[in-house]
Amino acid sequence: MHFAFPPRKTSHPPPYALRQTRSPLLRRSRLQFLALVALGCIAGLYILSKLFGSSSTTEAIPAGTPPVVIVTALNKSMGDAFNEKIKQNREAYAARHGYATFFPSTSDYPLGDSPASWSKVPSMRHAMALHPHSTHFMYLSPLALIMNPSLPLDAHILSPSRLESLMIVDQPVVPPDSVIKTFSHLKGDRIDMVLTQDKEGLGSEIFILRRGEWAKYLLDAWFDPLYRSYNFQRAEGHALEHIVQWHGTILAKLALVPQRIMNSYVKDEKGNNAGGVYQDGDFVAHFYGCDKAPRHCEEEMAPYFAKVAS
Amino acid sequence: MRVNANTNGGAHISWASAQAKSAEVKGYPSFATRNQGFFSRHMRRISASLPRFDGGGNARYAEKEKLQRGRWGGGAGRWSGVMGRIGRMVWRMRLRFAVLFGFLFLVIAFYVTPLHRIYRRASFLGGGSKFVIIQAANLGGGVMEWKGPREWAIERDSLKNKRKYAKKWGYELEIVDMSTKKRYAHEWRESWEKVDTIRNAMRKYPDAEWFWWLDLNTFIMEPSYSLQSHIFNNLARTTYRDINAYNPLNITHPLTFPYLDAETRSPIGDGLASSINIIVPQDCSGFNLGSFFVRRSVWTDRLFDIWWDPVFYEQKHMEWEHKEQDALEHLYAAQPWVRPHVAFIEQRMINAFPPGACGEKGEDPRIHYREADRDFVLSNRLNRNAWERIKDWVSDSVKAAKEKRKEKQEKKNEKKDGEKGGLESCGYDCMGAAFRWAMHPKSILHFWFRLYFLYCLVLQGKDALPRPFGGASPSPSRASDGLLMPVYLRSS
Repeated sequence: MHFAFPPRKTSHPPPYALRQTRSPLLRRSRLQFLALVALGCIAGLYILSKLFGSSSTTEAIPAGTPPVVIVTALNKSMGDAFNEKIKQNREAYAARHGYATFFPSTSDYPLGDSPASWSKVPSMRHAMALHPHSTHFMYLSPLALIMNPSLPLDAHILSPSRLESLMIVDQPVVPPDSVIKTFSHLKGDRIDMVLTQDKEGLGSEIFILRRGEWAKYLLDAWFDPLYRSYNFQRAEGHALEHIVQWHGTILAKLALVPQRIMNSYVKDEKGNNAGGVYQDGDFVAHFYGCDKAPRHCEEEMAPYFAKVAS
Repeated sequence: MRVNANTNGGAHISWASAQAKSAEVKGYPSFATRNQGFFSRHMRRISASLPRFDGGGNARYAEKEKLQRGRWGGGAGRWSGVMGRIGRMVWRMRLRFAVLFGFLFLVIAFYVTPLHRIYRRASFLGGGSKFVIIQAANLGGGVMEWKGPREWAIERDSLKNKRKYAKKWGYELEIVDMSTKKRYAHEWRESWEKVDTIRNAMRKYPDAEWFWWLDLNTFIMEPSYSLQSHIFNNLARTTYRDINAYNPLNITHPLTFPYLDAETRSPIGDGLASSINIIVPQDCSGFNLGSFFVRRSVWTDRLFDIWWDPVFYEQKHMEWEHKEQDALEHLYAAQPWVRPHVAFIEQRMINAFPPGACGEKGEDPRIHYREADRDFVLSNRLNRNAWERIKDWVSDSVKAAKEKRKEKQEKKNEKKDGEKGGLESCGYDCMGAAFRWAMHPKSILHFWFRLYFLYCLVLQGKDALPRPFGGASPSPSRASDGLLMPVYLRSS
């Protein structure tokens, strides 16, 4: 239905035009713009957090942290005087290079019936707990002396390039003819454990560990009560040889270095270890077996103490 | 031909006669075949009954101009008005409808078609390909023993259940033949394949992160749960690190040796979900490796490496009845590096036991299956379909009612000292039995047959039954007294 004429306008128009609706504070176009900007900001933040979020997980190493900790578990039965000399030997070396030392007693750890020599394993774990930011931990037998304190560990052994040049690859773990051989392709920066080998097997009296989950794994596996109760002939030495030969994840982090790099034997008892006999200038002199009956450690060490002191 | 001789339009030829003639020529039967089909006969009635949208009959046009002529929604019937209004509404809101239909289309495309599997698999969307289900099959088969039909059936159903689940959520399913073989030089190493199997799966699926070991005698009861939503999206809350929450083995935790670092001595490790590398449930006798998760990591490599060791096993093989399970318990207890990366999960979350299993302690809400809580995986029970569930529910409720009845009965018996005998007690039992009999799955198929059977038997006597059930044969000699016989038989 429609009308012939449009309705008339009112005869009394208002003095000025009323606005029909109040104009909104934010116009539609402005709102859209703001929404886009907000979206862009959120997206940008998300991308930035994705890009840089992971970088914050690398932990900060506090200043003044010693890079290396020298660990020696001392046996009280050796006598306080002897132990004191051993301590001084390490402390002098550590002070020279800014390293730390740690001398627990073999009786500090719950070994049960197993030999006191097992205490080297928990003592390394202990050192790692005490120095959570140090990178390397060296276990030195209480029967060894640092003869050349001028050698820093880093340049002498631990820097990846040096380690790669020292590493003995494709070598039977237990000489002479173990079927398990050290890996032939290992990078120096992937190594977590450095140790030496004598004619009988792995030298577990002196070794270097790098801090990390792997080190905990090695030490805890090594210290398993079932290994301690197994009566290995050479206790923890054979236990180490066992886990290295049976478990690839341990062998893969292991580097064998020439014996005289850090484990020169002062006496070649059986006369078949010519490559490992101490010569002047070697880093460490190891009086391996001097605590057994006919030998006497203090007597054997006396000239060497004099040599270091001079 | 006589027809042709007469020219068309002859005055004496009526329409009817011409039609009859042409029908004759075509050789069709004498009676009319046209208008025989349902549609041709009822076309008009149907079309007339359809709603009209023209706003009134044509007849109205002949009428004089009235107030409502030519308008929508007049007196032309409610139908046309409603339809017209809906049509206009749809047209006006076509954008909104387009959105709605688009949404519906996407829902169908994603959830009805297989597209959602691709979506769920993709590592950046659903992440299903990050999970591998390792299903041990053929347990102990092969050399050790023959499998009976029951074992085969269980195996088939279980695998089907897992396949369906893995397909649904886009997980990888690795079915491993565990039949006993002389695979290792050393006899101790046999039946320790679990670790090697998981390692092989890790090699086979290099992109996967979590590996779920599942024994054969498990069934996923709730395939609508994804692993992500059930466990992994909220790992910190679904698992617990401190074994003291439930410690059937009485393992001392946390370790207190002063030579250990703070993280190892902490009861919960570092407490972050990212450090969890193995998720193990515990039943009433310790760790349960019938269903557990491991994550690909260097830690896991180490654990798998140290898990089997000849020196451990030489000393313990008489004690370690469950081989790898006991070995893991030993590693957890003895080697501190293991603890900060192990998380426990309630047994019921990933491997609920049926009631009665696991000692005589009875129902433990941490271990035993409860249907009301819709547990995810169940050990030792077939996955039931909807019908079987109804059936079980019926039989369960009958059983429950029976038990109540029995209790009452016993109370009565205590009072009356057993005056009444079997018949009354039959009442409920018999009813229950009959009910269950009627509810047997086959009975649905044969329901009408049974009804007919009963009808024949009760009302009309044995002879009326179909022949195989003892009914009379339709021989001519008995056709005379075959009053009760079906009509089609009598007529012959």
